[in-house]
Amino acid sequence: SGELYCSLPNPRNVHFESINMRNVLHWSAPEGTGDGVLYRVKYSVYGVGKWIRKPECKNINRTWCDLSNETSDYEEQYYASVKAFLNGMCSDWMETTRFNPLTDTKIDPPMVSVSSTEKSISIILTAPEKWKRSPEGESVSLLQVYPGLQYNVSVLNKKTKKRWFFSVSNNTLVVPWLEPGTAYCVSAQIHVTTPLLHSGFSEEHCIATLKDKTA
Amino acid sequence: SVTEIRSGFTAIKANIQARDPIRTLSILSHPHSLHKVKASDRCCITHQLFTFYVDKVFKHCKTEDSYVNRKISSIANSFLSVKRKLRQCHEQNKCMCGQESTEKFKQILANYEGLNVTSAAIKSLGELDILLDWMDKSR
Amino acid sequence: EDALLPAPQNISILSTNMKHFLAWSPVIVQGETVRYSVEFQGEYEREYANESWIPICECSLITATVCNITEDISATVAYNLRVRADVGARRSEWGTLKGFFNRITTSLTPPLMKVIADGYHLLVELEDMGPAFQFCVLYWKKGQESRMQQKVVKEVSSVVHLDTMEAGPDYCVKAQTYVEAINRSSSFSQTQCVRAQGGRSMWL
Repeated sequence: SGELYCSLPNPRNVHFESINMRNVLHWSAPEGTGDGVLYRVKYSVYGVGKWIRKPECKNINRTWCDLSNETSDYEEQYYASVKAFLNGMCSDWMETTRFNPLTDTKIDPPMVSVSSTEKSISIILTAPEKWKRSPEGESVSLLQVYPGLQYNVSVLNKKTKKRWFFSVSNNTLVVPWLEPGTAYCVSAQIHVTTPLLHSGFSEEHCIATLKDKTA
Repeated sequence: SVTEIRSGFTAIKANIQARDPIRTLSILSHPHSLHKVKASDRCCITHQLFTFYVDKVFKHCKTEDSYVNRKISSIANSFLSVKRKLRQCHEQNKCMCGQESTEKFKQILANYEGLNVTSAAIKSLGELDILLDWMDKSR
Repeated sequence: EDALLPAPQNISILSTNMKHFLAWSPVIVQGETVRYSVEFQGEYEREYANESWIPICECSLITATVCNITEDISATVAYNLRVRADVGARRSEWGTLKGFFNRITTSLTPPLMKVIADGYHLLVELEDMGPAFQFCVLYWKKGQESRMQQKVVKEVSSVVHLDTMEAGPDYCVKAQTYVEAINRSSSFSQTQCVRAQGGRSMWL
């Protein structure tokens, strides 16, 4: 591409955004550059001697690049870098900080499903899956990635407005001895002690216990 | 405790790793990953690594930032406390060193000695999460 | 030549529930503001770092005669602590705490606890004492102390569900804190008993 003159301002805030180990590189356009800026992306495994180009993110005009595939081994750590091109000029390569998928990912709340009888509600919790290459790919639950994963479950009695908390390790919880014909709202959060990670609380799932047939 | 080591490290991770410009070398994870260590050798490798950090690494990590220095002190003193417990295991023959862990630890020392002492110490400190992640996984 | 500034005296540690404070008597200099600075030295510094001392910047040139050292006493090893006084250009010698301080000696108080009966459900509200604390909650049917049940609460989030109760008997609860970092527990709180009552909350 001929001799490039690298005095273009640099891409800014180059960083990974990761949710359930879907690891996407993000950056902001160089200051003062309008449209037409193109970017190239490369990444490296920390401790290994070479940078690897990401062909699908060569000469792209968007400011993100999905590197989940390249950073899926969470026993490794990574760097990524972005370079900008415009009108025959280019910027420097701008790097992320060291990215550790295991500690730097955010975790989605668990899926919550609730059923009820006259006097009890049953709650089934499902931890989110680790990102996978394709829908047919093997599913890996974050439970396998974080063995110490626990659930904090909140149960709100809509009538009394009282909220109870349960801390459970397995993925089912039955709350017996409830009041018939009463609405209860359930939400749950994932909690990992080491490394210290919390998901937010899930949306509330409300269900009513069945009416007391004898009443 | 290990939890306190992790929270101390998390507080200074970005600062310390930013002081390590060498992307192409690792002290702990390449060429051989800790994750390949056999279960029977884990205790010994852990004991050797805690001794390595206490004897060789922390003293060469002084920075101009007093907050970072205080966090390094708290990590170092926690390492000393954990190392003492591991030494008890070692003395009760519950922490035997096999051929593999000896080789593995030799490789780590070779990686360390391949750099000048300050760079090697800062790089080792910046890799604490590699050690902690491996310890968590091995629990 | 100005009289030598005396070093701070009566240096002591106040440590409760893993919160540690260094305190000392004020140095009195008529008409002057005396300022103090605190440093600590862990076992690591003594044995591996040439007995170096580390300043606590939050307690550097302060006028108070107490310093919160909790953040820095973050390992279960023996620490040395010292404090000196400054008035203008005059500086005292270091006053050093007599003996070491190890957080394993912190005094642990029983947790504040409130037991609630909500319908047939036995619940407990516990005071949040910080990330270092877990709670061991014991509960039993009154008169059946031998069949005491235990629940470990690692994270305090307002009202924690313990169990369901049968209508009629009293259910009693007591709790103690546990600090994994020093492997010690507090004494138990006062026992509180409640009884299930239809759908209404009931205290005894």
